[in-house]
Amino acid sequence: MRSSLVIIFTLLVALLLSVMPMPEPFNLGRPMWLALVLAYWVMALPHRVGLLTAWLAGLVSDVLFGQLFGQHALVMTLIVWQLLLLHQRIRRFPLWQQSLVMLPVFGIAQMVLLWLNSLSGNRPPTLLFLLPALVSAILWPWVHTLLQGVKRRFRVI
Amino acid sequence: MRLIVLTVLSIALMVVDARFDALKPLRSQLGLFVSPLYYAAELPVRGWDTVTELTSSRAQLIADNERLRAEALLTQRKLQKLATLTEQNVRLRELLNSSSLVDERVLVAELIGVDPNPFTQRILIDKGENDGVFLGQPVLDATGLMGQVVEVLPYSARVLMITDASHSLPVQVNRNGLRAIASGTGRNEWLELRYVGDTADIREGDIVVSSGLGQRFPAGYPVGRVQSVVRHPSQSFAEVRVAPSAQLNRSRYLLLVFSPESGYGDVLPALDLSPDAPEAEAAPTDEPAATTQAAAAETAPAADAEEADNAQ
Repeated sequence: MRSSLVIIFTLLVALLLSVMPMPEPFNLGRPMWLALVLAYWVMALPHRVGLLTAWLAGLVSDVLFGQLFGQHALVMTLIVWQLLLLHQRIRRFPLWQQSLVMLPVFGIAQMVLLWLNSLSGNRPPTLLFLLPALVSAILWPWVHTLLQGVKRRFRVI
Repeated sequence: MRLIVLTVLSIALMVVDARFDALKPLRSQLGLFVSPLYYAAELPVRGWDTVTELTSSRAQLIADNERLRAEALLTQRKLQKLATLTEQNVRLRELLNSSSLVDERVLVAELIGVDPNPFTQRILIDKGENDGVFLGQPVLDATGLMGQVVEVLPYSARVLMITDASHSLPVQVNRNGLRAIASGTGRNEWLELRYVGDTADIREGDIVVSSGLGQRFPAGYPVGRVQSVVRHPSQSFAEVRVAPSAQLNRSRYLLLVFSPESGYGDVLPALDLSPDAPEAEAAPTDEPAATTQAAAAETAPAADAEEADNAQ
């Protein structure tokens, strides 16, 4: 019970961070906070956080961003699915190597998001939409360390 | 297996959401729970504002006060003239047997969030369905037209800015009445005037106002100022850039307009009804405007051909 609450709380913080106002140039590279937090929990506790959690969290962020229902849900499900396939291997990697694995995972997610966005008629004219994936991958070691601290402190299992 | 189920479910949801209205109530209910996140995210900014207000020095306050008083004096002088001008306008219109202009009503709203997606230009405001906000309602700030409401939640609403790449509005050059379509470019520094003929009489510095033709925005509000006109001899249309006059990324307080052109929505807002607004005059025009307003989406495609003809 308490573990679930802690996980939900971290997801809420991730959502909060993803709507935090940011100055214009940084906004382009806004990290994919929700994806980062979900990725950590999937790697750490795959029996607890899985596809369904990711899907529901994605739905909430769709409402938050006012986009089509299911858009982020699909993307989050894809990220978590890839990590479920990979987690047993990459858990043993050092953090910077995990970052390298995260880069294509997040990159694919941003690509899918771009396709879905272009279906509803707004397609950014640049390649800059991949920037959040890069920033998220770079942030991964820190997010990982922070959430590991949270996990140990509140004994989330 | 679970992946396939969830993927199919997401795609089904997207299709349903894009094509039908069935999910609107669910969305607005969920929005009720989610929009506090925007308030929370804005808290540091508000906190900072409060702190600067509390700690601003007395001298600064006095200076502010003086400046505002001077400003009020200037606007009042303009208003005096405006009263006589309005009266004159009404009389002239009566002579011409055309309908008189009805005063619009406004509701002040505060910005509570900016869309985190850098490729769309949308904002969230703190007034929603319960304040009488309706879909397609025009939004202004103190200096010009800002956009329109695209999503109404119970206590908040989403506003699409005129600079969003998917937004267009019918406009008019103030100097000579030349009509055009102003389309957003996805960047908040400029709009583009589409389908303006190469030989059309438009110059740098011209003021562009809303023409009211789309039945959505009231006529006569400033949209922007022409920034540059590039004419290519090989192309039939000129490239015209307009700098928006509204402070799209700075305004904190916005005005929601209730006007005969855009309709009043389902409910008349109980608050903010100025006593001198002629209620009886507004009533007859209210009905058709409200119905056509729902049907008229972006008027751009239909008006294109006509605009091009007029321009040449």
